[in-house]
Amino acid sequence: MTYRSSRSALRRLGLAAALLALSMSAAGEDAREFTAAELGRIAAHGPWPLPWTPDPGNRVSGNAAAIWLGHQLFFDRRLSANGRVACATCHDPDLGFQDGRATGRGLATGVRNTPGLLNVRHQRWFGWDGGHDNLWSASLRPILDPSEMGGSAQRTASVLRNDKALACHYGQAFGKRPHASDPELLVNVAKAIAAWQETLVSPASPFDRFRDALARQDARATVAYPVAAQRGLRLFLGRGQCATCHAGPMFTNGEFGDTGMPFFVKPNGVDPGRQGGIKRLLANPHNLLGPYNDDVTRNNATGTKFLRPEHRNFGEFKVPTLRNLPVTAPYMHNGSLATLRDVVRHYSELDEDRLHADGERILKPLKLSEEEIDDLVAFLKSLSPTIQMPVLAKPATLSACIADEPNARKPNDRQSR
Amino acid sequence: MPSALKSASPLIQPVRPRPPIARLVAILAALAGALSALPAASAADPKLPIFDAHVHYSHDAWESTPPKAAIAILRKAGLKRAMVSSSSDEGTQKLYAEAPDLVVPSLRPYRKRGEISSWVRDETIIPHLEERLKKYRYAAIGEFHVYGSDADLPVVRRAVQLAKHYRLWLHLHGDTDAIERVLVQDPEARILWAHSGFDRPETVRTMLKKHSKLYADLAFRNDHASGGKVDPAWRVAFMEFPDRFLVGTDTFTPERWYYIAEHADWSRAWLADLPPDVAERIGWRNGETLFASMMAGRQ
Repeated sequence: MTYRSSRSALRRLGLAAALLALSMSAAGEDAREFTAAELGRIAAHGPWPLPWTPDPGNRVSGNAAAIWLGHQLFFDRRLSANGRVACATCHDPDLGFQDGRATGRGLATGVRNTPGLLNVRHQRWFGWDGGHDNLWSASLRPILDPSEMGGSAQRTASVLRNDKALACHYGQAFGKRPHASDPELLVNVAKAIAAWQETLVSPASPFDRFRDALARQDARATVAYPVAAQRGLRLFLGRGQCATCHAGPMFTNGEFGDTGMPFFVKPNGVDPGRQGGIKRLLANPHNLLGPYNDDVTRNNATGTKFLRPEHRNFGEFKVPTLRNLPVTAPYMHNGSLATLRDVVRHYSELDEDRLHADGERILKPLKLSEEEIDDLVAFLKSLSPTIQMPVLAKPATLSACIADEPNARKPNDRQSR
Repeated sequence: MPSALKSASPLIQPVRPRPPIARLVAILAALAGALSALPAASAADPKLPIFDAHVHYSHDAWESTPPKAAIAILRKAGLKRAMVSSSSDEGTQKLYAEAPDLVVPSLRPYRKRGEISSWVRDETIIPHLEERLKKYRYAAIGEFHVYGSDADLPVVRRAVQLAKHYRLWLHLHGDTDAIERVLVQDPEARILWAHSGFDRPETVRTMLKKHSKLYADLAFRNDHASGGKVDPAWRVAFMEFPDRFLVGTDTFTPERWYYIAEHADWSRAWLADLPPDVAERIGWRNGETLFASMMAGRQ
């Protein structure tokens, strides 16, 4: 098993931040003034980080033993059919838990860009098509998917049973040892992996500091924010209307849209996007309507309950968060746009004919100048942190687990962080 | 009372003693009546033909899905016929040449994509329409987009005149104001209202009641049915005007050609929630009656 410190997770973000810092020196000379309406809209993109709450659908959300177990399993290649693919193969910590490829490559090459995992706890739907309504279900699928890890419940159980540390932490997290016949084993493993992913929260970005400085009317602190990023922010909020979909502290409304991106899949087919995702989700026994949802109130399943595929969903893909973009290139659902400049240019030169006349009315070609494109890119880069991600607690050792066993937390215990 | 409602209404009569044979006949008749009142089992059959009244085959579609492949998609979807328009018209002609039994051509006033908003003020559209109409046969002019007072602009007026001259339908994507203005220009104009104007069923009913030659397609809308069940307000509209609605996919991007089969199945599912005769009319018979027969007459 490979343990990789998340210290490196934002190393590449640091490079972008360094470039950003170079441009900051001029910022103080030309700090722009925002209107009251703009200030209100800027404030709505924070504060950051968001308060962390456990996932009610995952009884080990926030459980230290589960987090430890999930952390180990995330990097464990033994779960895959050929023993060579782990979750981290495609979700590389050095790349914001993405892989830098246009489309993911596990046991085979897929058709979609691998989504990054930073701040994943705050997402509503999972996957470009929202084919999952919870993180543990989204974490389970790749383990079994023949084109990704190609694993099985038996293989997973075997790994857990034959690894004393894993078995110990599984026992601590779930109150029982792993058994091959346990139909919940895979779900529990996925819940542990989800519990670990929920800890991946990126630090505050230059934008966050600017936003906070504005909120507390600290003019001196605001001047550190580059002028180009400020101009880009104004475009983002105003003419671009980007914030309509890329809303709130996560810079996404969590929903889906058709932004005119082609969605053919070679050789002869299409990626149905959200339309297929809804169908997949409703058919999935691991959705929040199913028996594995740990929220006895089922309040967390309301969104799923009323979900029905609509024609407009065909070719819609998730509105992604805009945080941490410099390390998660390439972009869009199929990774077809290599750079942030390409992405901005896509919206600048939008092909309206690809949008239904009564559909995405908000999308219009922005017709941006080169300078405006630079500004928007500067703003987007400012949504990434300039400091390294805090190092996660050092994983417990087997002896620590065993020593802790007499005082093992009950499965439903949650730890706050 | 609408005719469809009349036929489905139970007949309440005083009960009188009957001879055995008459009683048997009465029982069989009652059984037949009860069966006909049930949701249309035959409409749920995946083989229910579909007349897809809203298909586009523009240049990017024929580049990615050549005519033979496109026709294969239509046939596999179980379409009886499809009314096709494209930007440019070349796409429609390519498809019509490939399968004249399947394709009902409609002339779009767009020479290329991107003229959706500009065509109403572009007078070079007029000779384009005139030349194509002289050269090829069509069932309609459209689908075109026009809203409000734009319908009174010279280019739109000329399109309405040409439709009258060639006795063609207008496949109009627009609001009620545009519909009204076109019908002032030509009270006899036959209009297929694309997407039923994305209007509420009550408004659609009002318009259909007011204009006897107005028909409506249901393309790219979901509000009339969900999970195979017809929305109550829409049910009233369908039962009141079973001869005035058609279904359609709207392949506004080339990828949507791969949605035609699924859309046909989705349509079959909600049509099965209507009486069989209504389901068949909306599913395909209206299209056949209004458009396909018209093309046959011209051949």
